[in-house]
Amino acid sequence: MGIFKKLFGGKAMDSICAPVTGEAVAINQVSDPTFGEEILGKGIAIRPTEGKVYAPCDATVDMMFETGHAVSLIADCGAEILVHVGLDTVNLKGEHYHVIAKNGDKVKKGDLLIEFDHEAIAAAGYDIITPVVICNSGDYTTFETHVGKNVTAGDVVIELAK
Amino acid sequence: MKEFTYEIKDPMGLHARPAGLLVKAAGAYASTVTLNAPTGKADAKRIMAVMRLAVKQGHSVTVTCEGADEEKAAAELKAFFEANL
Repeated sequence: MGIFKKLFGGKAMDSICAPVTGEAVAINQVSDPTFGEEILGKGIAIRPTEGKVYAPCDATVDMMFETGHAVSLIADCGAEILVHVGLDTVNLKGEHYHVIAKNGDKVKKGDLLIEFDHEAIAAAGYDIITPVVICNSGDYTTFETHVGKNVTAGDVVIELAK
Repeated sequence: MKEFTYEIKDPMGLHARPAGLLVKAAGAYASTVTLNAPTGKADAKRIMAVMRLAVKQGHSVTVTCEGADEEKAAAELKAFFEANL
């Protein structure tokens, strides 16, 4: 059991932290229905104020998109996490993104995964809002989010229990 | 078992949005839906598995449906690929 498990209401909760610093908002604030309508799973979104993506918990990098605009991780606690930096940013083909971590890397909460130039991405006409989605959210009976405030990377934004 | 093969036309390949739509579409069937790509094989109902294939434009994927509604699943998913990918 990791140090990120805590007891809450008698249930062991797994914590997922903010991968980026910025304003945390409800996922339905994301204009892209793939995220806003939770097609990929439940989650939250962050409007980044800093261009760094950190590991949101201890995890294995499952799929680092070579363009650096998204990364999926399998948390040690079992959560399947997708961090998608900006909307439609696949079209940037890697421009303004710098990939740090690679597929299969074992990462600790707070390890740097991706660097991105959020100002340049916004200037190129993209919405930089960054959905953080738990792709297997259907496996959990408790799903709590902490949004509507500014967060620093590493602050708990999602708590899960099966 | 019913299957079809489709060559991906989307210049960005099977990235997050189309992968999500595919998983949602595949999830509507009782049949198991398996994606066979040059990069591996995945359960088409699991988003992380589908994204991990990193299917690119020009890749041929074979979709295999197996179960009670396999005919319907294969026909409708073929139409989905043609419309979206």
